[in-house]
Amino acid sequence: MSGRAALAAGAAVLVVLLFAPLLAPLVKLDISIVSEVLLMAIAAMGVNLLLGYTGLPAFGNAAYFGLGSYGAALSVTYAHVGFAGAVAIGTVAGLLGGLVLGPFLLRRRGIYFGLLSIAFGQVFYFVAYRYTDVTGGEDGMNIVRPAVEGAHAVVSDSAFYYVAFAAFVVCLAAFRTVVGSPFGRTLVGIRQNEPRVRYLGLNSDRFIFVALLLAATMTGLAGALFGLLIDFAYPLELDWHQSGDFVLMMILGGGGTVWGPLLGACVYVIGKDIISTITPLWQIFLGALFVACVLGFPRGILGTLEAAVRRRDAGRFTDDDVNAAFDPNAPVEVGRGA
Amino acid sequence: MDRPSLSRRSFVTLAGGAAAAFGAPAFLPRIGEAADTLKLGLLEPYTGVYAAEAEYETAGFTMAVDAWNARGGVLGRKIELVKEDEQNDPGVAAQKTRKLVNQDKVVALMGSVSSGVSLSIAGASNALGTIFMDSGGHSDDVTGKNCHWNVFRTCHSTWMETHATGYALAKRFGKKWFLITPDYAYGHSLETGFKDVLSHIGGTIVGDELTPLGTTDFSSYLTKVDAAKPDVVMVLVQGDDYTNCLKQMNQFGMLKKYPVAGPQVELEALYGLPPEARGGYWGIEWYYNSDKTLGKNNAVAHKFVRDYTARFKKPPTARSCFGYVTVDRLLAGMAAAKSTDPVKVARAIENVRFTSIFNGSAYYRKEDHQLMWPMWVAKIRPNGTPGDKYDLFDVTDIEAPEAVEQTVAQKEAVCKLGYP
Amino acid sequence: MEHLGPQLFNGLVLGAFYAIVAIGLSLIMNLTGTINMAHGSFMTLAGYLAYTMVLRGTSFWFALIAAPLIAVIVGIAVERTLVRPLYRREPFYSLLMTFGLSLIAEEAYRLIWGANGVPFAPPPALNGALGLGFMVFPTFRIFIVLVLIVALIALALVLTRTRFGLRLRAAVQDTEMIAALGTNTQVLYAVNFGLGIFLAGIAGVLAAGMLGLSPTSGNALLMPAFVTVIIGGMGSLFGSIVGGLLIGVAISMTTLFVPAASEVSMYVLMAVVLLVRPRGLFGEEGIFG
Repeated sequence: MSGRAALAAGAAVLVVLLFAPLLAPLVKLDISIVSEVLLMAIAAMGVNLLLGYTGLPAFGNAAYFGLGSYGAALSVTYAHVGFAGAVAIGTVAGLLGGLVLGPFLLRRRGIYFGLLSIAFGQVFYFVAYRYTDVTGGEDGMNIVRPAVEGAHAVVSDSAFYYVAFAAFVVCLAAFRTVVGSPFGRTLVGIRQNEPRVRYLGLNSDRFIFVALLLAATMTGLAGALFGLLIDFAYPLELDWHQSGDFVLMMILGGGGTVWGPLLGACVYVIGKDIISTITPLWQIFLGALFVACVLGFPRGILGTLEAAVRRRDAGRFTDDDVNAAFDPNAPVEVGRGA
Repeated sequence: MDRPSLSRRSFVTLAGGAAAAFGAPAFLPRIGEAADTLKLGLLEPYTGVYAAEAEYETAGFTMAVDAWNARGGVLGRKIELVKEDEQNDPGVAAQKTRKLVNQDKVVALMGSVSSGVSLSIAGASNALGTIFMDSGGHSDDVTGKNCHWNVFRTCHSTWMETHATGYALAKRFGKKWFLITPDYAYGHSLETGFKDVLSHIGGTIVGDELTPLGTTDFSSYLTKVDAAKPDVVMVLVQGDDYTNCLKQMNQFGMLKKYPVAGPQVELEALYGLPPEARGGYWGIEWYYNSDKTLGKNNAVAHKFVRDYTARFKKPPTARSCFGYVTVDRLLAGMAAAKSTDPVKVARAIENVRFTSIFNGSAYYRKEDHQLMWPMWVAKIRPNGTPGDKYDLFDVTDIEAPEAVEQTVAQKEAVCKLGYP
Repeated sequence: MEHLGPQLFNGLVLGAFYAIVAIGLSLIMNLTGTINMAHGSFMTLAGYLAYTMVLRGTSFWFALIAAPLIAVIVGIAVERTLVRPLYRREPFYSLLMTFGLSLIAEEAYRLIWGANGVPFAPPPALNGALGLGFMVFPTFRIFIVLVLIVALIALALVLTRTRFGLRLRAAVQDTEMIAALGTNTQVLYAVNFGLGIFLAGIAGVLAAGMLGLSPTSGNALLMPAFVTVIIGGMGSLFGSIVGGLLIGVAISMTTLFVPAASEVSMYVLMAVVLLVRPRGLFGEEGIFG
């Protein structure tokens, strides 16, 4: 029964999103910021796959995001491709980034994987920053949003929203399928006990590599669409701060849950947008949000509430409960939320 | 999976959380919202490294808006500034642009400090068909290859900065220059500008050191200066690098040995430097305490400086001037067009000569929408003047805009305004 | 090649800076597993406090010690109230917490001291340059190196010759054992955190004199310090010193020979170290396995 209820609730969220272009203006939100929420949710999903499920601290995912963004922007500027072509090229750029970095990243686990990710990410950042002739360097590069191939109409901001929505639904479906599949269960197994997975005869490196490529592709797609949403590509998209934002969104929403990244992206992007409009002191509130999240919602908003409901014992966590989201030895139901 | 762990309850909470996030702004009315005011969107980096510049620019905007409101506003409506923090991030700026235009219904946009943000707002505002007055982003591209019919720029272009200072300094000191150039986009365009100046006057570059952003030590570059025997040492680096470079030039005694100069320096940066790192000749874009910049009998300018200083307890900077001129000319354009229609307003701003709070008259050039106004060169007084610690510039030269900006023919080759 | 000498020296000065910040980070990380993203904020705080003191008429020398001490008091208060509850959790949480704190701090500094950078100059006695015939060294930089060396020696003595140092080193090895043997580990945590902040504070005051002071200035040194810890090896204070110097020299040498690669050099160095010897040059196996 509750499985059906969850499905219904998920469908309800998707229906709300489907009508967002009509609903958002009622609460004075621009539809493009809702598009951004969906794109950030896709990127946070990429972190979720690596960190939330597989236990690999993906601290450098902005590299794929920026590759996607620059891939789209450069192909529009220099090859004059259409909208779909730009999205495709950006997504492939993200995938290629994963293919290039994967073999190096695979060699390390734990915090070292995270640090290595940051290091490689920064290399991409400085390339974009320095290669002024091609990328515009620090100033970034303007693009004019191209028309869809064959059609001559420019993609309007509301039409764009549905592109982002479609991308989100595809990624969400893929994500659910992946984490619910034997492959996804193996990823969770790797997080819990990698030596045992290897002992069972599975080449964990190969699983991690595929997960990495999936995350890189998704993040590249998000980056390409983000570049086309704001009609701009710039080096900060590749910086470690951007990677950090993705991780924060995932943790905020709830790591290791299917819907956590969406919730996290929603709270982070819209919260920041609203607070920074109300007060120039928004950083204080954003900082306080992190502090409150750590103290009050240690497993992310969704993860904490979920656990609270399950135990009917809200607010009485032990630290071990809190760590369970990341603890390799904690009992975790496989394919949680799927 | 006999028990899917994502229960109905948590989904209800998820939906509730999302609804709260979406719904929040509806309950938060903007401060000062009133019926039938004319809203202008102001995008400034109130957080991040340019926060100080943003403060001064905003003060200038506020002064001009208050002056217009005191005269009854424009088109019979009071003017309201709707401020947004663009966070010095082009992506945030593009999104805030949409928000201001689509949700807050502003009739025009203004602001920004960094070139990247200006370019991003320019692109987004063009797609939305809304006027954007770039008050403070200096990249040539804003009124060059990325120009748009709806974008006007108040501050000087990089080209103007290099040419104004280049010609003035060559006259004053000589034609053999040593350049210390920051190795990124802005530095490269300054370098190109100076090379163009030298090609016109037959000068030479006797040394050109490319320094990475974030260089803390300039001694290895500075030691090359003696061997090159330049007439002028041109310092093109900015921000913290500028601080370090000047501090070390002082420690090496070079500020006394060579004329040290550069295309541009801002008071905001100088206030953050200890006196011993202040020195040399610099291009400046306006100054509050000189007849050369304000105009000897320009009552409006002198009143602006007096009122501003009384209100904000410190004198205005060039950024304040950008803000004032920008919104003043935008409103004058609306008054002349008798409309807020973007195309009509843009046409009404083009090529109209006006006087303002600076010396002489100026106009936004029809072909590229660059404000054609003078630029100045000043010598730094490290400790200010007795009784005024802010008074750091001794203005020495004034350069007319037509002589220092690219010609109409040059601009038309790269810039297509593309009116609808 | 005549630039090699001065550039090497400058690389070492820069490296010494990174080292002292990194050691503070490392002390906190080793004992409690806390990745302190607010470390740069404490540097900036000490810089601003010193600036205010000098403005009010105290001497630079007094401020050099007093400002870091006040930062330590703030640091211990933060540690007791906000960081301590997270010690038994994964490092992510303290990372998130301290990152949030650094956002709050940056805005607070802007409110208190203004968005503009403020001028903070070393005293006139340190403001010249020392000619050695073949090259010239700014006096303040030589002073910085001396202070950092003194601080490092003092730290080494504290760690090796005092009862506190002994307990601290033992606690890093096995906190539960040292607690069972009757040491109050909570006090140990607090003092250790304070020690890290004190080093950050000293570096903050010196950096303010050399690089300028604004609400965002401390955070610029944070990333190089992390890279230093990683290259030197987590858990090794000696490693942090070597790592810092190595990065400083790497940056200054690439500046001289391959200017285009100067910013990226430390990340490349870090990637190579992580691939070849993940625990860092002098790191212990097992920390953050």
